[in-house]
Amino acid sequence: MFEPIGLALIVLLLPLSACLLAAFSSLTPLKKLAHVPLIVACGSAAVVALLLLLKVLDSGAGVPPSKPITWFAAGHLQARFTITVDALSAIMLAMITFVGTWIAVFAGGYMRGDKGFPRFFAVMGLFVFSMCGLVLANNFFVLVAFWEGVGLCSYLLVGYYFEKPSAAAAARKAFLYTRLGDTGFLLGIFLLWKLGGWHTDLNLLFDHIQRFQPDAWQLTLACLLLFCGAVGKSAQFPLYVWLPDAMEGPTPVSALIHAATMVTAGVYLLARCAPLFAMAPDAQIVVSWIGGITALLAAFIALAQTDLKRILAYSTVSQLGFMFMALGTSGTISPAFAVTAAMFHLFTHAFFKALLFLAAGSVMHSMGGVIDVRQFGGLRKVMPTTHLTFLCGALALAGFPLLSGFWSKDLILESLLAAVDTESHYTAGYFTLFLVACVTAFLTAFYTFRAYFLTFWGPEKIPHEAGHHAHESTRSMTIPLLILAAGALSVGIVLEPFTHWFSDFLGSAPSLMQARGRTPAKDVAHHFNWIIASVSVVLALGGIGVAFALYRNGGAERAPAGMAKVFELSRKKLYVDEIYGAALVKPVEVLAFLARVFDGFLDALARLISTIPRFIGGWVRPIQNGLVQFYALSMALGVAVFLTFVVFRITR
Amino acid sequence: MTDPLLQQTFTGVFRLVAPEIALVGTACVVFLFGCLTNRRWLWFVVSLLGVILAAVLAGTVKTEMPPLLTASAIIPDGAATFVRWVALITVAVLLFVSWAEVDRSNASEYYGCLLVAAAGVSLVGRANDLITLFLALELLSIPTYILLYLPARTRLHQEAAAKYFLLSVLSSAVMLFGFSYLYGLTGSTNLTVITDALTKAHAESLNPMALVGAVLVLAAIGFRITAVPFHFYAPDVYEGGPAGVVAQLAFFPKLAGFVALARILGLLGGDVRSIPFDANTQLPLLIWILAALTMCIGNVLALLQDNVRRMLAYSSVAHGGYMLMGIVIASSLPDATGQPGIGGMDALLVYLVAYGMMTIGAFAVILFLSTPERPVDSLDDLAGAGQSHPISAGAMTVFLFSLIGLPLTAGFAGKLLLFVGAFSAPTNTNAMRNLYQVMAVIAAINAAVGAYYYLRVVGVMYFRTPLRPATRSRAVPTFLAAVALAGATLFFGIYPAPIVNAARKAAPVPAPVQKTTADRNTK
Repeated sequence: MFEPIGLALIVLLLPLSACLLAAFSSLTPLKKLAHVPLIVACGSAAVVALLLLLKVLDSGAGVPPSKPITWFAAGHLQARFTITVDALSAIMLAMITFVGTWIAVFAGGYMRGDKGFPRFFAVMGLFVFSMCGLVLANNFFVLVAFWEGVGLCSYLLVGYYFEKPSAAAAARKAFLYTRLGDTGFLLGIFLLWKLGGWHTDLNLLFDHIQRFQPDAWQLTLACLLLFCGAVGKSAQFPLYVWLPDAMEGPTPVSALIHAATMVTAGVYLLARCAPLFAMAPDAQIVVSWIGGITALLAAFIALAQTDLKRILAYSTVSQLGFMFMALGTSGTISPAFAVTAAMFHLFTHAFFKALLFLAAGSVMHSMGGVIDVRQFGGLRKVMPTTHLTFLCGALALAGFPLLSGFWSKDLILESLLAAVDTESHYTAGYFTLFLVACVTAFLTAFYTFRAYFLTFWGPEKIPHEAGHHAHESTRSMTIPLLILAAGALSVGIVLEPFTHWFSDFLGSAPSLMQARGRTPAKDVAHHFNWIIASVSVVLALGGIGVAFALYRNGGAERAPAGMAKVFELSRKKLYVDEIYGAALVKPVEVLAFLARVFDGFLDALARLISTIPRFIGGWVRPIQNGLVQFYALSMALGVAVFLTFVVFRITR
Repeated sequence: MTDPLLQQTFTGVFRLVAPEIALVGTACVVFLFGCLTNRRWLWFVVSLLGVILAAVLAGTVKTEMPPLLTASAIIPDGAATFVRWVALITVAVLLFVSWAEVDRSNASEYYGCLLVAAAGVSLVGRANDLITLFLALELLSIPTYILLYLPARTRLHQEAAAKYFLLSVLSSAVMLFGFSYLYGLTGSTNLTVITDALTKAHAESLNPMALVGAVLVLAAIGFRITAVPFHFYAPDVYEGGPAGVVAQLAFFPKLAGFVALARILGLLGGDVRSIPFDANTQLPLLIWILAALTMCIGNVLALLQDNVRRMLAYSSVAHGGYMLMGIVIASSLPDATGQPGIGGMDALLVYLVAYGMMTIGAFAVILFLSTPERPVDSLDDLAGAGQSHPISAGAMTVFLFSLIGLPLTAGFAGKLLLFVGAFSAPTNTNAMRNLYQVMAVIAAINAAVGAYYYLRVVGVMYFRTPLRPATRSRAVPTFLAAVALAGATLFFGIYPAPIVNAARKAAPVPAPVQKTTADRNTK
């Protein structure tokens, strides 16, 4: 039972049982306590996950996958369930459950009095369960099942306030955009199975592909198709538009989606499949570029947004872009280093982004649901704890020296720079991406502090929705903030720069060892790179400084002089939604319109045909309005076309 | 009649169809005594007993394959057994489902017709002769006409019944025309003889007349499986017909149609390594086009529907397209090198079962939520069902998720097998090359598009408030059937092994003969 697999199963079952208990509690008078099971379950799951982490650390790398449970077998295709625990999944598991616990505590306070209280916690338990299952999967069946489960839960949570039409629309948008990516994902899985001898277990599949290397283009295609799924789930360009709209859900949900679950699934997928991606450099440069474009684009859009949660949402999109930039260098440089960079950023990002969202939620809670930074300001005195913790998160996100974001961002910059210094065909591309990353880092620091100053500095301004009781939030909401703030400040420095604990541990994951074995890429030495560090310090401080110069007095939101046009463009989100509207929705509407016209045409034809017999004999009863003749005619025509086809093909 | 084997073949035939005889016999009893007293519960119980009797007979009467397949009109092979059990279970479920729309005036006729239709489906599965096959298909069609007309109260109902009748008769005529070609070419009505003769003939050169006959049969069966362009009746009939009958209509003809098509193309029962219309005969290419057209047009038109029944009709068209993939894959078997993982027909049978559960289930929920004063037609009628009827809405959600093909529902297992089959089909043949894979891609895109309109229904049920006050329906059996089907959809989604194994037993995938190149080059 206390083998790693057993522990993993315990972690998996705890949130599920919390989900069931919460759902059950809605039938009892204990409704108001629906959050308790989830908090307890997540908390104990976090403890177990930590134990698991230690076990994996002890055992080196070799925890064998669980014994397979055969789902069904059809010829070669053995659909089996297996789960696996390695460094990668152990870290993810610990992070998800830890951050999840505090979000659950926060939500207990935030959602109090809501009429769907038990429903919220039931779905949230299911969400954590799905995410844990996703990272434990050693098998595309399990992976896809939980992948869709995560999508489903996000649909239910984003649409939590379903009375609001915008929330229902956002929920559907989230589901459909991610499913768009999933289509590619599924096709990629089928292609991989075909290339990999129909093995469904990931480790066997990777082995098989490495042993019998398929054509390069097939592997590239398969990797790109897998990446489609990641693009959808992790909200990358061009499918990122759903994530900002997903703000319609309750704030703890946003924190959960943005920090610990859902959007990290795509990054995790690529990290897990590193052995494949490392062999497909052409796919990798695409991954990096998509990441780079997303990072820059989202950071630019975040510049002038006025909705606090939306600023944070775009910043998530942008930071995920950072991670993909790093992932895309794997294979060109040592996969272990690239994946470590991305996963480390994911890890630190989980802390400070959860913190920022919860702090924003705390602001929103006390402002009576108002989240527009133009409507409040100077909250420093009113909400001291929220202010301080938000500041910690913002500093970490901006990459302030010695805080967690600083270290992880540096690793990413370093991986990009290391990729430049290789024999790869794409060194120029990686160098451009390095510059993109630098610009993005500057923009990140700027917009984060723009939001911070507008919210907390300047003269006190409280919207009338807040009434007279604008105050600091209750303890159940501030304690999670404090804990996460401590994490945001320290996880970076404790885990990596001096001890290299994180990279050593992650590097021991079997899949990364396997990836490393197959690429000619050189290892990157783990030393402190002064050049990168100083560049990133300058960028961070520069961004914060500009924001300070412009917005330290709080007050009305305004564009810097001469930048009004740029800000306007940013506020309109570069018109991407409108472009999508014109480029995607319009054609579909036109198609639908044409289909209607075609239908109408058929109808007219049918009427015409129906009038002829009526005209001649008048024996068509009203019940036979002629459509039947038309249907019969179409069947006869169909047969005729078929016969023509066959005859034509034979005689040719 | 001196040959003892032949003698045995003819006398043993009654043993082979004992359950069907039980079903039709029960139907006769119900029809006859229905004139005296027409009570719903009485005839319900009698019909159910009839089904149970048939099931007992099916389980106990030992049957052996007749020694002379070429002289047997009825064969009890694996596929036949599979179809029979599906038909028996389905009719039992349908008896429960239809409770809500049967009333005192038509109970005996309704239940009797249902039993006869099930007997027809079961017979299609074991027909090995053109005449038996045609009779079995008519045994399914004729009760359906009556069923459509029985509760017809409004003009819309009557129109639906009339349309179905006329077009079905037309398709039967086309089918007979096709059969006549097959008979004319081979001089026999026995399917084993026909497929053997055509296979031999096609080994030399392609026979165009055989192809014409097959195309005509395909067109006629296209009507039953709602393939484009033979699908036009579906939306009108699904909208106008009584929901319980439509549930039957959405499943039985598809089951019978696909099995009949597979029998005629030699994909079931015989040796699938040598089939009369393999991938080199252009017919699979035609079916490929038919499948692609059917799923694309079905899905696009479903997107535009605001009426739930019409939406389900087009969705049923689209699913017909997915299932046609199975036939295309099966026709690639003679070209396979090595043991193929999926034979095509096994995937098709799994999909048929999954499709039956989810479609009948969806109509059962619609039927349960409908009351005479407040029928469920448009999407708005389902608004807020999540609050007013939580269990029904939950069951409906399961069916819709299964129709989308989300994992852990039966629909996923079906789609998975079809897609894997398409992806593992050989790519090195002349006629098809990598068209199988292209087909899988088209299907995957369609499945993604399909998610939109199914999800819309889920959204309406949960994310909107009811427009009219909810009414309480008292049709408990219908409700029970819907819940049971939802449970089965989930169960076979989580543990699909029983269905997959049964389907693979019914349509085994043989090791391919190493069709040596010499074999083809000798001519």
